[in-house]
Amino acid sequence: MSKTMDMEEMLQKIKDRQWALADIDWDAPGAELITDEMRPRLKAFMADLCWIENVGARGFAAMAKKAPNDTIAEIYRYFHAEEQRHANAELALLKRWGMLEDGEIPEPNVNIRLAIEWLDKYADDMSLSVLGTVIPMLEVALDGALLKFLLDEVNDPICHAVFEKINNDESRHIAVDFAVLDMLGHAKARKLAIEFVSGVASPGLIIGALMYIPLLNRVRNEVVDMGLQPERLYVAMGRFKKLGDRGEATHRVPLYQVLKWHAAMVINPKHPYHLLANTMVTLSDHYPKFLLRPIPTWFKELTYEPVSSTVSKPGARKDAA
Amino acid sequence: MSTATTEKRPRTKKPRKTHSTLIIGAGFTGLGTAIKLREAGVEDVVILERADRVGGTWRDNTYPGAACDIPSLLYSFSFAKNPNWSRAYSPADEICAHIEDITDDFDLRQLIQFDTEVTALDYDRHEGTWTASTAGGQQYRARTVVLASGPLSNASFPNIRGIESYEGKKILSAQWDHDYDLTGKNVAVIGTGATAIQIIPEVVKKAASVKVFQRTPGWVMPRLDMPTPKVAQAVFAKVPAVQQAARNALFLSHEVAATGLVWDTPVTSLIERIGAAHLRLTVKDPWLRRQLTPEFRAGCKRMLMSSDYYPALQKDNCKLITWPIATIVPQGLRTADAVEHHVDAIIFATGYDVQLGGPPYPITGAAGRVLQEEWAGHAQAYKSASTHGYPNLFFTAGPNSGPGHNSLLVYVQGQISYAVAGIRTILDKDLVSLDVRPDVQAKHNESMQKRLKRTTWMSGCTSWYLTKDGFNGAMYPGFATQYLRQMQNFRADDYEMVSHGARRLWNVPAAEAV
Ligand SMILES: Cc1cc2nc3c(=O)[nH]c(=O)nc-3n(C[C@H](O)[C@H](O)[C@H](O)COP(=O)(O)OP(=O)(O)OC[C@H]3O[C@@H](n4cnc5c(N)ncnc54)[C@H](O)[C@@H]3O)c2cc1C
Ligand SMILES: [Fe+2]
Ligand SMILES: [Fe+2]
Repeated sequence: MSKTMDMEEMLQKIKDRQWALADIDWDAPGAELITDEMRPRLKAFMADLCWIENVGARGFAAMAKKAPNDTIAEIYRYFHAEEQRHANAELALLKRWGMLEDGEIPEPNVNIRLAIEWLDKYADDMSLSVLGTVIPMLEVALDGALLKFLLDEVNDPICHAVFEKINNDESRHIAVDFAVLDMLGHAKARKLAIEFVSGVASPGLIIGALMYIPLLNRVRNEVVDMGLQPERLYVAMGRFKKLGDRGEATHRVPLYQVLKWHAAMVINPKHPYHLLANTMVTLSDHYPKFLLRPIPTWFKELTYEPVSSTVSKPGARKDAA
Repeated sequence: MSTATTEKRPRTKKPRKTHSTLIIGAGFTGLGTAIKLREAGVEDVVILERADRVGGTWRDNTYPGAACDIPSLLYSFSFAKNPNWSRAYSPADEICAHIEDITDDFDLRQLIQFDTEVTALDYDRHEGTWTASTAGGQQYRARTVVLASGPLSNASFPNIRGIESYEGKKILSAQWDHDYDLTGKNVAVIGTGATAIQIIPEVVKKAASVKVFQRTPGWVMPRLDMPTPKVAQAVFAKVPAVQQAARNALFLSHEVAATGLVWDTPVTSLIERIGAAHLRLTVKDPWLRRQLTPEFRAGCKRMLMSSDYYPALQKDNCKLITWPIATIVPQGLRTADAVEHHVDAIIFATGYDVQLGGPPYPITGAAGRVLQEEWAGHAQAYKSASTHGYPNLFFTAGPNSGPGHNSLLVYVQGQISYAVAGIRTILDKDLVSLDVRPDVQAKHNESMQKRLKRTTWMSGCTSWYLTKDGFNGAMYPGFATQYLRQMQNFRADDYEMVSHGARRLWNVPAAEAV
């Protein structure tokens, strides 16, 4: 990933590598390898994973409007759809494992609900430099990274096949993410400073941080609950720094420095940061449900059905609120 | 003469005589040109039309909902009005019937050679004549030619991955198959442009389900369509001046809109606010609104006029899908969110083969150069009507003649009077050739490109007005009034002229006398 990434070529590659739920044999043997004791935690984890994809999807939707040129806008349009694709595929796995009733879509947890609200309210107004820094962090730390943990636990070959496809998509996401981040770093210092001050001082970003911190820790806790090493998550977050520092100008993006600093705290389990973050998780559990706004319709477009033959309006499904 | 293209044809039949003018195409423009030429005393006119009927656009586009999106009072010729338009925006069949009426009223039928598709045009520099080769083999020769084969007269299936594998019914909007019944079918519509927004509300009424695949949303303005009151029809018929007054008023209102649609001005923002309000008032769901919100300046792409498109999208059996299409598959199409949509039919409302590089048949000029090769980079003409090296040839809908949002026919009227003035000059002065001076043409284009800079079309969107490298050789950067003034002013000085008389006198061949 360098600033000279040929975006036209990347777009072509993306178009050439499309896949669909229908490519996968969801009834193939292997589902029985999921043990009963794994089920409840696996379901919770997968459900979160699937919603996190959707959060990333919404982020790319916002990016598409900010893209510096038509090609990158088109790439983001695809990435938006691909995150939806990941979510759909993860739902299809849940369905395959018998963890979903017919038509059931798992409920997002409160942190995700809050993240969604934030995205819907603020993401479209964020500048490219803010979105372009936050999204790569989301991608390395949550999207893509998390599903790798599962592969140690879950032996279902279909799960492995699906995650391989998702991983291939994600490697393209991350390559573009960091190429754009580096592009942002090449902007004039003055512009960087102005955008940082106006972006970071905005209530949108502050509230965003308040959403992100507990979300990350909730996921961390879930990872631990599943008997996995939280270090795996930290390694993923460490990649943010590794990939970012490889860029020629990335270090000049002020928000990048902030996120790097934040990541350093997260990956240090002894850091007092976790006291704060975990308190926020607990607090958010008590967030009054009635304050949550209805789930936006885009959030209900998820499906585990490989084929759609008619029109089903998301509004027609019962509101999860 | 035109060896390369005619060799393949079995029997080339040489032209029988040399006519004054050949007109290619019997749509509004070709017929209007014939009317005006005859008015100017040019009688020996032949119209070559590839179809078996007149009508052009309005004969070919019979898809459900087809109608003009400029009020009919303005979308017609001022010299061939129709007092009986049934609605403010007439449906295609009514416009087509009107074109048939014009053909009869002005006694044009005898001039038309139907089923005659022009495949090449070649200039003979010694004789100063053009020869049209046709698909049937018969050639036609004339001293002058008017190209009226239409700016949007060809359409084809788009090049979407996997399209050849589709096993359901494929429907191209411009070649609607009326034998296929959409009732109860699951249907996909690809495209959300001017044509799609007319088709969708109609298909939603019949089909079991309609999925609309959108790539770029456009600005949609409410279209206040209504039946023409009977009284108005009666008055228009009796007192044509009243109809002309109504037409003038509409013309003016479109000129006012141009201040926002042609140039990027505060009026552009005002128009965007109207579009946004239209969206807000008619679409409930915020996400759907977001999907339908354009990201380019109003006017940059063709404005869409419809009051029933947004409501149709929100019907229970209709859904807007904005995921990119990954591929077409035998049973339908796959979107990038991994879902496969099975449909009985796909309607392609994906636009026309725009002719930014000239008409699709080769036109070989004075120096043996082929117009399409010269225009492959950027199309260039003088006042959109003449281009150097192609004497005695007049374009309609030529380079930099496109209206932003006004009736094309208003502009065409200007082109017709220009061509008639040029043709009269050739005949009156007995010219071998009338060829626009290259310096005049270059100066004109410089000014066009300069004036284009501040227009909405150049405000950063990609549209079919622009070539791949962003050159605008399509639109006219100004008011219709300015364009018409330009076209009413035919200046012989702008042209190099060689007359038969002079040539006889000096005894030199035409090309060298230039
Ligand atoms: C669906 C649709 C809606 C439109 N709505 C509007 C509107 O509301 N307002 C507006 O201003 N404009 C509109 N337009 C633009 C429209 O094309 C013009 O307004 C007008 O109809 C052009 O007339 P024309 O005679 O120049 O071309 P056409 O109507 O296209 O006629 C050209 C004729 O030439 C014939 N021809 C083509 N090639 C050859 C050949 N090689 N040899 C012989 N004959 C040939 C064709 O068969 C056709 O009959 C619309 C266009 C479309 C497609
Ligand atoms: Fe993902
Ligand atoms: Fe991703």
